Amino acid sequence: MDLALRDLGDFIADTLHKEVTGTEIRLDELMVEAKRDSIVRVLTFLRDDANCKFRQMVDICGVDYPEDAERFEVVYNLLSLSHNRRVRVKVRTTAEVPVPSATGVYSAANWFEREVWDLYGVMFSGHPDLRRIMTDYGFEGHPLRKDFPLTGYVELRYDDEQKRVVYEPVSLPQEFRSYDFLSPWEGVLPGDEKALEADAKGEGEGA
Amino acid sequence: MGVTTDPARLGAPLPPGPQQDAILEQVAAELTDKGFVLAQLDKVVNWARTGSMWPMTFGLACCAVEMIHAYCSRYDLDRFGVVPRPSPRQSDVIIVAGTLTNKMAPAFRKVYDQMAEPRWVISMGSCANGGGYYHYSYSVVRGCDRVIPVDVYVPGCPPTAEALVYGVLQLQKKIRRTGTLWR
Amino acid sequence: MTETQIKNLTLNFGPQHPSAHGVLRMVLEMDGEIVERADPHIGLLHRGTEKLIEYKTYLQAVPYFDRLDYVAPQNMEHAFAIGVEKLLGCEVPPRGQYLRVLYAELGRVLNHVFNIVAYAMDVGAMTPMLWGMEERERIFEFCERVSGARMHMNYFRPGGVSKDMPDGLAEDIMTWVEAFPKFIDDVETLLTENRIFKQRTVDIGRITPDQCMDWGFTGPNLRAAGVAWDLRKAQPYDAYAKMDFDVPIGKNGDCYDRYLVRMYEMRECVKIIKQCLNEMPPGPVRVDDRKISPPKRGEMKSSMEALIHHFKLYTEGYHVPAGETYSAVEAPKGEFAVYLVSDGTNKPYRCKIRSPGYAHLQGMDLLTKGHMLADAVANLGSLDIVFGEIDR
Repeated sequence: MDLALRDLGDFIADTLHKEVTGTEIRLDELMVEAKRDSIVRVLTFLRDDANCKFRQMVDICGVDYPEDAERFEVVYNLLSLSHNRRVRVKVRTTAEVPVPSATGVYSAANWFEREVWDLYGVMFSGHPDLRRIMTDYGFEGHPLRKDFPLTGYVELRYDDEQKRVVYEPVSLPQEFRSYDFLSPWEGVLPGDEKALEADAKGEGEGA
Repeated sequence: MGVTTDPARLGAPLPPGPQQDAILEQVAAELTDKGFVLAQLDKVVNWARTGSMWPMTFGLACCAVEMIHAYCSRYDLDRFGVVPRPSPRQSDVIIVAGTLTNKMAPAFRKVYDQMAEPRWVISMGSCANGGGYYHYSYSVVRGCDRVIPVDVYVPGCPPTAEALVYGVLQLQKKIRRTGTLWR
Repeated sequence: MTETQIKNLTLNFGPQHPSAHGVLRMVLEMDGEIVERADPHIGLLHRGTEKLIEYKTYLQAVPYFDRLDYVAPQNMEHAFAIGVEKLLGCEVPPRGQYLRVLYAELGRVLNHVFNIVAYAMDVGAMTPMLWGMEERERIFEFCERVSGARMHMNYFRPGGVSKDMPDGLAEDIMTWVEAFPKFIDDVETLLTENRIFKQRTVDIGRITPDQCMDWGFTGPNLRAAGVAWDLRKAQPYDAYAKMDFDVPIGKNGDCYDRYLVRMYEMRECVKIIKQCLNEMPPGPVRVDDRKISPPKRGEMKSSMEALIHHFKLYTEGYHVPAGETYSAVEAPKGEFAVYLVSDGTNKPYRCKIRSPGYAHLQGMDLLTKGHMLADAVANLGSLDIVFGEIDR
C-alpha cells in the first residue's frame, strides 16, 4: 500500500510538475501541494487519469495559519473508489486572493466552497453562488479564523418594546476559561494571583 | 370548593379509590336528580387545560429524539392528553427541544407569537436552558429564555424521555396551582 | 380566450416543519405543484462545534461528536477516536475493538430504525413509528448499561472504550438480537409491498451512479444507486476486517431502493452483532498507556502515580504529536470523517468534520427538480438527513 502510494505520488509529481510543488506521505496518507492558479487542472487530472480516478470529492476545508504570509490553506480530500485510495490536495491563499472554484470539476464542491468562504473568508473565483451558508443571515466576520473570538461579537435577545429579536455586544457573566498548559510550571499560573502577591511581598521585604 | 376542603389537596387530583368513587357517585346522583352540577369555573377550566396540553413539535436538536421517544410507545405521553401538533395555531405548549441558534431565534419567536393564549413553554435540555455545552459558541443563544418566557426547565443533556414526562407533569401542576382564566 | 401570465411561486418550506427532520429551511420555486428549484438553507443548527473543539482538549472534544448525528451518536465518536489514535500511534486492544464494532453496529440499527420509521411517517404510515421506537428504547437500555447515558454515550475514547461491559449485558444483547429480525419482518410486511408506500417511493428521486460520484454521495444512498462501496469492507477499521457480512446494493437509486438497502443493512447488522458477541475476546478494553488512558479507579486509591496520571489526563489531557490525518468511518448515513490537524499541543489545531448529510442535502435540488411538492418530503426522508451533523 505504502509503496503504491509512493509511486502514485511520484507519478502525480512527474506528470504535473508545473502545477504541483510537492508530494508527501505522512501516516500512510498522500498529500499533494498544488499551485493555487492551477488547482482546477490538478483536480481534473486527478479525476480523469486512469491511474488516479479520484472521482469523488469528499471534502473541502480550510485551515488558518495566521502567522504565515499566505495564511489560509484550502484542503481538498479526494477518494477513488476504483483504486480504493485517498489523496489530499492543498493550496495556499490569502484573504484577498481568490482560489479558482472546483465546481466545474465536481458538483459537490459547491457547498463545500460556500462553507469555506463562510467560515474562513476564502474567496473562490468562478463559483456560481458564493453565499454564506452556515452562519446567521447578516453575520459579520468569518468565525473559524483564529483571530475570531470563540464567543463572537454579538449576542441576541428578544426586545419586548421593539417586539423583535435584537443583537447586542456579547456580555458574559463568566468568560470562557482557557488554561495555558504549554508554559512550564514557573512564575504565575493563570488564576493564581495570590502567588504574585506573595512574590511581590517577598521582594519588598528583601529590598 | 364543594367537595374538597382540605387546603393541601386543593388542585391535586384525587387518586382512584373509594374516595373518588364516592364523589363520582355523588356527582352522578346530583346530575340525575337536578339535571346539572355546580362547579367552580376556574377549576373546570384548569382541568380541561391540563388534560389536553397539545405541545408544538419544536424539535431543534438532540433533545428532539428524546422528545419523540416520550411521545411514542414506551413513555406514551398520550396518556396525559399530550398529543404533538405540527402547527402553532393548534398548540398550547411549546417544548423547546434542543440548541437554539442565532439563526433560528427569529423564526422561533415567530412560532411562539403565532400560538394562541393561554400558552406555556417547556425548555428541554441544557442547551435550551442556558446554552449548555455550547454556551460559549458564537452562534448559540445562551438560553431560550432570552427570547421567550419559560415555565418549566427540564435539565439534562439530553434529558431522558422520563425526565420530559416529569417536566410535563410539573407544568400541569403549575397550571393547576397558578392557573387563572386570563393569563 | 385571453392569455394569462403564470408566475412561478416561491414556497418557503420550514424552518419549522414536521417533515423537515429538524430545522431545514427550503426555498422551493414552484410551477404549480412541480418543484422547479430547491434551495436548502442550512445553518439553522450551526453551533460552532468545530470552533469549540479547537478550544477543548482531545478528551473534552469527544462528547461534541455525540451531538453531531444524534440519531446514531456512537458512530461519530468512532471517527474521532480513530483519528486521534492514528496521530498518537496507538493500537486498541482486541476487546476494545470488538466492543466498538458492537456498539457501532447498534448505532447503525438505531439510525436505520429511526430513519425508516420516520420516513414511513412522512409518507403516511404511523404504525412503524410506534413499533420502531420500542426497539430503539431497548438499544438505549444497552447503551445506558454500558456507558450510563441513553443517547450521548461518550463511550469510544481515543485508545479504546471507556468501560468494559457489565455482567449479563452480552447475554441480553444476544436475546434482543435474536428477536430483532422479527421486527424487521414485521415492518417489511407493513411497508415493502404496501401499495401506498410504493406509490410514494418507487421511481421518486432517482439518481444514477455517475451523479452520485459527482455529488459526493456515500453510504446507503450511494449503494442504492448500485455502487458496491462500503468503507467497512474497502478500508476496514477496528475489528471489521474479521467480520463476515454482505453489503446490500440497490439497483435503481430511487427512494424505494434507499429504503430497501437500509432494511437489508439492518439484517447485516444483526449478523455482525452476533459475531461480535460470540467472538469477543477477553482482555483490556483500552490501551495500557497511562499517558493516554486513565488508570482504574481501584488503582487510584492506592497508587500516587495513578492519581497523578488521572489528574493530568483530566485537566491537561494528552499532547498529540504534530501531524494531520483524514480518518473516515462508514457511519450509518455514509462516510463520516474527521480531518484532524494537530500542532503538538493538547488541543486540536483544526478539526474539520466531514458529514455525509451535507453532501446529500446538497443533492436535494438535483433529486427534487421536476417532482411534485409532496415528493420533496419523500426525497428528504429517504436521504436520511439529520441537522446536527450537517450544520455542526
